[in-house]
Amino acid sequence: MASSKRVKPIRKPIASREATEFEPNWDLIRDALVGIHTKNQTELSFELLYRASYKIVLKKKGALLYDRVKEFEERWFRDHIMPRISHLITPNLVRVALFQAPGTSTHERRHTAEQFLRGVRDAYVDHNLSMNMIADVLMYLDRAYTSETKQPSVFTATIGLFRDHVLRGCISNGTEPSDKTIFDVINAVVLDMINLERDGDVIDRHLVRRITAMLEDLYETDDEMDDQKLYLRVFEPAYLDASTAYYRIECEKLLRESDASTWLRHTRRRLAEEQERCETTVSLLTSGNIARVVEAELIKARLNEFLGMEGSGLKAMIDNDRIEDLSILYDLVARVDEKMEPLKAALQSRVMELGIEIEKTLGAMDFSARAGADGEEVQGGAEKPKAQPLTASAQQTATAIRWVDDVLALKDKFDTLWRCCFREDLVLQSVITKSFSSFINVFSRSSEFVSLFIDDNLKRGAKSKTDGEIDLVLDKAITLLRYLADRDMFERYYQKHLARRLLHNKSDMDIEKDMVSRMKSEMGNHFTSKFEGMFKDMEASKDLGEGYKEHAQQVRDTDTHKVEFGIHLLTTNHWPPEVMGRSAALLDEGAKGECIYPPGIKRLQESFLGYYLRNRSGRVITWVSTAGNADIRCIFPKVSGKETGPLSKERRYELNVSTYGMIVLMLFNDLAEGKSLSFGEIQEKTNIPASDLTRTLASISLAPKSKVLAKEPASKSIKPTDRFSYNAQFVSKTTKIKAPTIASLSRVEGDEERKETELKNDQTRSHVVDAAIVRIMKQRKQMTHTELISEVITQVSSRFKADIPLIKKRIEDLLNREFLERVDNAQVPTYNYLA
Amino acid sequence: MTTNGDEAPASKYVTLISADGFEFVVLREATLISPTIKGMLRSPFAESKTGRCEFPEINADVLDKVVEYFLYWHKNVDKPNVPDMDIPPEICLQLLQAADFLGLDKQSS
Repeated sequence: MASSKRVKPIRKPIASREATEFEPNWDLIRDALVGIHTKNQTELSFELLYRASYKIVLKKKGALLYDRVKEFEERWFRDHIMPRISHLITPNLVRVALFQAPGTSTHERRHTAEQFLRGVRDAYVDHNLSMNMIADVLMYLDRAYTSETKQPSVFTATIGLFRDHVLRGCISNGTEPSDKTIFDVINAVVLDMINLERDGDVIDRHLVRRITAMLEDLYETDDEMDDQKLYLRVFEPAYLDASTAYYRIECEKLLRESDASTWLRHTRRRLAEEQERCETTVSLLTSGNIARVVEAELIKARLNEFLGMEGSGLKAMIDNDRIEDLSILYDLVARVDEKMEPLKAALQSRVMELGIEIEKTLGAMDFSARAGADGEEVQGGAEKPKAQPLTASAQQTATAIRWVDDVLALKDKFDTLWRCCFREDLVLQSVITKSFSSFINVFSRSSEFVSLFIDDNLKRGAKSKTDGEIDLVLDKAITLLRYLADRDMFERYYQKHLARRLLHNKSDMDIEKDMVSRMKSEMGNHFTSKFEGMFKDMEASKDLGEGYKEHAQQVRDTDTHKVEFGIHLLTTNHWPPEVMGRSAALLDEGAKGECIYPPGIKRLQESFLGYYLRNRSGRVITWVSTAGNADIRCIFPKVSGKETGPLSKERRYELNVSTYGMIVLMLFNDLAEGKSLSFGEIQEKTNIPASDLTRTLASISLAPKSKVLAKEPASKSIKPTDRFSYNAQFVSKTTKIKAPTIASLSRVEGDEERKETELKNDQTRSHVVDAAIVRIMKQRKQMTHTELISEVITQVSSRFKADIPLIKKRIEDLLNREFLERVDNAQVPTYNYLA
Repeated sequence: MTTNGDEAPASKYVTLISADGFEFVVLREATLISPTIKGMLRSPFAESKTGRCEFPEINADVLDKVVEYFLYWHKNVDKPNVPDMDIPPEICLQLLQAADFLGLDKQSS
């Protein structure tokens, strides 16, 4: 395009030769400038002026024109604009703005400030307007001269005058010359106005916005780099500093005078206000920065102090379910800290505290509940009256249930908070989960309690609950299960409880299976294999029982088909050792062996064994007499001499007792009327272990509803010296009577029992750890000590939390047994696998 | 700054006047591709009041072509593959000069 300028048009120029000279054209332009400044431009022809500058530039006099214009503007500025501005800066204003003179009312301050700002604004608006017009007229100068010589454009150069002269002009009026510039005054005034607004005053937002817009339009230098806006360079830092100071004081005040709830709402309001202020009064450029100032001063600075506030802090918010407070809190904290550290820590400690509190109140309850009958007593009414020795364990069971309920309630609470207040924040979820898991695992009996909880619900489940409720219970149970670290402990307890439920027909198979399949999907196959084995046994037993019944009918054996016979055939491995192992342990002792069954039963057992072995060989059936029960139909003959009342008639009852109970009662069948048996005699005849016998006798001679034996002396406990006889006076309102079977109660273990369980569990763990070590080493051949340990921990983590001393012990053991050897001269302890 | 609010909505058309007195009435919007005319119409000078822009150094035959270009641009500004405009060689130098005067030498839109 440069070439086009050199080419002469082929036509004669219309303008005269004169018009191409510089001076006349300049005169034209200069007059126009005056006209523009005095707002008399409307009569001027743009084209004429444009053409004048065009010609000058074409004549290569652009530089001269540029300088002349600048010179003119500077003079104009000095002569016409500065006086206006100086006039505005009254001593009063300076005093108010810069020295925070006391004794001025806000109204006065605002009035002075607004007057001043208005003056500045007007001057700027005029100047800006004029400069725009001038720049338009001199467009060709910019295009062909300034841009090519890399000078600031006409507009930049002239608008910059405002910055140089007005903003940076020093004020020196009144008593002393100061190094303060007008800019400082503007800043101070604007900031003062903003603070007035923060304090609730009404200010002329539009005016302030115009001033900040002016600062946004102006740059530090004529280069007009984007980051050199005066607004960003000078005003914004001052603004942020002032805001910081303002909010710091405000925060202190809040901390002193209000509560956390007020603080939350106040802070939220401030954030919204600042955002709005940026939109209407200051500048959107600052919205991010000012928000950070508020965040830093109002949220971050004293966050922990607010959270810790008595009666309104986080503790109170959580305890009182202040959902709104917590939502705000979450939003605020989320602004300042993505990782939510303060909230995390606070939540964690609160969950832990609440968890431990549950434990504590349980401890307290143990004593208090003893006196007052707890409404939530787990045991049915049947046991209650008799239950002096039972109360403690019954209480404990109630305690367990209570614990689980409390934990679940707590969990529900935090889930709700998490959903409603924390926007389902994943970080917080994991914190809550972790805290729950840690306090649950700190509590040593959690595995047992959870299992008891399930037991309680499933036992009662079939009767009184709808499907939905049961579903809910199962869900809850699984939730808790997830928290447990020592799952093997839980497995052990659950197995025990499940065995009891199954053997005593206390639960609904469908629900049981549902529960186990849930566990399976949660914990994996190996976890539930035993439970499933138990179910399988139950089903197989049912088939077997039916098969035998048919068989017995065919055989028509008088002895056997008289008795209805139900059998549970249990695979040793699947069932808890408590059920299976007892008789086995007794067998080991040799001397006692099995208890002595009455001949009728004995024949039945043999008949069944015969049937069972018809299709299978090489199997052994061990009769577990502790686990069974029997329905006995008994007839109490009319008591002679009684003509009225129940005793005058013959009474038929169906009595449900444990297998032992049955054995004992059968003894009395053969006994002549009026005779009695001593404890020792009974034991001798039945070979029932003393402890079991004591309990059995208690259930049929002490419990008032099933007192079919009379005891001599009639004390409240069974002693080896007692004698027992048939209670001819027995009366019951119901035909079916259930003798309380103590063993069938699910209850918390006593301390000793628990130690035993733990011991057994530790043994199992040792095996698991052994297996894990060998498995790992077989694969890796060589491994360092630390690697091995961490690998073992990962491998067994799905079952329990292995502690390092245990692993070390197992490694030591394996070294002794020469599965492993130490690598000599290794820098870190290392082991080799010995095949 | 776009000022002079009372003039802007006055008319959708502006009148361009050549050196030899021909008047071209053109859609205002189309003329705005020229920064010169744009400046002329937005600053509160005489032209923006009257809506009449005189060009004492551009003849009618050239201005005719300029106006044709304005409309050509206005019509085709957003379209791809537009055929070139036909420029008679005898006025091309004058046309270049006029384009420079009107600020049409740079790609602006």
